[in-house]
Amino acid sequence: MAEDDPDRRKFLKVTTCALGAGAGIALAIPTLRLIAAPAGATTVTGPSEPLDLGPIDRFRVGAEPRKVEVIAPIVKDAWTAARNVVLGAAFIRRPSNDKILALSAVCPHLGCAVGWDTAAKNFLCPCHDSRFEADGPRMTGPAERGLDPLPVTVHDGRLQLTWVRYKMGTSSREPV
Amino acid sequence: MKLWTYLRERAAIGEPRGKLLTGASFAYVFGAVLMFLLLVQGVTGFALAAFYSPSTTDAWASVAYIQDQAPFGWFVRGLHHHGGSAIVIIAGVHLVQTAVSGAYKRPRELVWWLGILSLLLVLAFSVTGYWLRWDQAGFYASQIELGIAAATPVMGGAIKSLAIGGNDYGNLTLTRAYAVHVILLPALLLLVTYFHVRISRRLGPTPVRTKPVAVTRWPYQSMRDAIAIAVVFAILLAYVVSTHGVDLAAPADPTSAYDARPLWPFRWLFELRIIAAGAEQLVAMVVPAMFGGFLVALPLLDRRTEREPKHRKLWLGALAGLFAVVGALTVASFARDSNDEQLARRRATADKLATRARDLALTNGVPVTGPLDVFKTAPMWNARTLFATRCAGCHGVDSTERKGPVIGPGHGNRAWLTQFLKTPSGDAFYAHTKLAQTENAMKPVEIPAADMADLVELLYSDSGAQDVDVAKKDRGVKVFEAACTDCHTRDEGVASSAGPNLYGLNSRDYYTSFIGNPKAPIHMGSDKSQMPRFDRDLSIVDRDALAEYLVWLRTATLDDVNALGPL
Repeated sequence: MAEDDPDRRKFLKVTTCALGAGAGIALAIPTLRLIAAPAGATTVTGPSEPLDLGPIDRFRVGAEPRKVEVIAPIVKDAWTAARNVVLGAAFIRRPSNDKILALSAVCPHLGCAVGWDTAAKNFLCPCHDSRFEADGPRMTGPAERGLDPLPVTVHDGRLQLTWVRYKMGTSSREPV
Repeated sequence: MKLWTYLRERAAIGEPRGKLLTGASFAYVFGAVLMFLLLVQGVTGFALAAFYSPSTTDAWASVAYIQDQAPFGWFVRGLHHHGGSAIVIIAGVHLVQTAVSGAYKRPRELVWWLGILSLLLVLAFSVTGYWLRWDQAGFYASQIELGIAAATPVMGGAIKSLAIGGNDYGNLTLTRAYAVHVILLPALLLLVTYFHVRISRRLGPTPVRTKPVAVTRWPYQSMRDAIAIAVVFAILLAYVVSTHGVDLAAPADPTSAYDARPLWPFRWLFELRIIAAGAEQLVAMVVPAMFGGFLVALPLLDRRTEREPKHRKLWLGALAGLFAVVGALTVASFARDSNDEQLARRRATADKLATRARDLALTNGVPVTGPLDVFKTAPMWNARTLFATRCAGCHGVDSTERKGPVIGPGHGNRAWLTQFLKTPSGDAFYAHTKLAQTENAMKPVEIPAADMADLVELLYSDSGAQDVDVAKKDRGVKVFEAACTDCHTRDEGVASSAGPNLYGLNSRDYYTSFIGNPKAPIHMGSDKSQMPRFDRDLSIVDRDALAEYLVWLRTATLDDVNALGPL
């Protein structure tokens, strides 16, 4: 065997590396494609249509903000389809007969759930004591903006709300 | 190059190692091929684990997601499945080659035993991996395998309970199988193969040449290894692509009958159990134990230094006999199945069910209540199931015991109304009812064709249909008053004397009310209807679902109904 023929030795080395690299690539490419597939893909699909919050009469004119659960009829998450999923909560206010205001209960600071302070007549976040006016604007605390308004419409006498999550911790309002 | 020099010095990379005194040979490639295939299993296994969810509600759904939705999921899953088969095949060849060349003899007994142990671990991988799919095939295979384990004297019950995690199959069965498959077995296999390779390297390969010339492994043996790896991997990839990976049966259903079969390495045992009917539990334990025991004992039985096969006829003959029996049983098992026509029919039905489940999972997602509920995500599943079980006996077009009008596609459309008015006691209408035999039966409506069209338009509009010709409908009111009001009314809530109130005829609310109590005075009245009332044993939701389905039928064709798919 011509073990010491340098040309043959080199040829064998190159062939071996090429075969090894070929097998490696054939294994790596599909596997990496699979693992990386969820990155940048929509794997969780929430409701695309406005969500029903019930008859408009539930919300009395001039009353204090009323907390309602925002429930999606169906949420697809990779392989499952879950029904009646609670997405979050919103505060609904009806300052006048033809005006309806919906505020997300998600604190724009770090995402805790704000509550209505019945004594002070404003919103209070229990985590870092941010306070917000009844209409949403920021009063005090570390939050950089007011509570996020959510689009609402009235259809056939029923209140419909579009659920949006915004980026937290910023002064501007950017949907996630 | 500085980094290379650095590493070379500190990690002793590229230092000259002992030469391969036996020379390079394709006879020595099997270890390298097996190591590569194990790497494939590790890499694809990691990718699958990044998608798989070991719970009874999610396991099948996540595998279906990998198979039918994730990009290259079918490919990686197929590579993992068939790669496991390739390991069993190559390891088997490696074992036979080792036995034939007498390579298990002193001083290589440990290498042989470690090799057998790693083959057993590979088989344990395939058993546990098969369960994880939690489809009919994997679920029932686990039932059988654990049934055999449970028959172990004394400890059987404890073994089964430990394996399934308690008293019954459930979430803990899957989490345990998963933990064993992805943590315990890989760790053990890594340990065993490490020593298998390390010791065999130390001892060097068994010579295959009479006058060997010593060479370095790199590149002389390495190139042979690489060629073998490339050939085996190319065949494996081609097989995966040509079979589109591996099948996935319908979700595990403990109430169904399913023709479970073990994976192919265990088919010989399956056949053996059939042949040994009556003593199958004993045979299923004793025979593999004897087979394994023989392999383990081989270095102790065949102790002479002689390695030439022609001088070791006894032991090689015994080994060949064992493999021949295993091979013959395997072939017999597959042959038995392929000659069974009834089995083929049952398999075709099972395949249809699997396709249906996977189609629905793809389009609708799998309910969080579990994969069997995926069938219920079919359009109007609840209503169609109710119709099939509660209504079709008396109203189904195929029913042999029909007692009422046929209810099917086109029910309540213009053609149906016209036909009904002309022949209310026709075969598709009231012919099968008791009412049709009495004086109270509705008489055919005999009016001019134009009047008939106007009347039909009026009744059609009462169903809530939107495509109504208003002029015709308005004229229909007069026809109705002239031809129908002796027996019927269209006014809400009023019971008419002879025939049913037709307010909102064939609308959703009408159907809901009628199904609830057909004997109510506003409907047929207690003396004219044989149909039972359903407001006591069907909920309002179910009755409304049925009504919605009947409304849908009005504009549906037979093709539309078939397109909804089976229940």
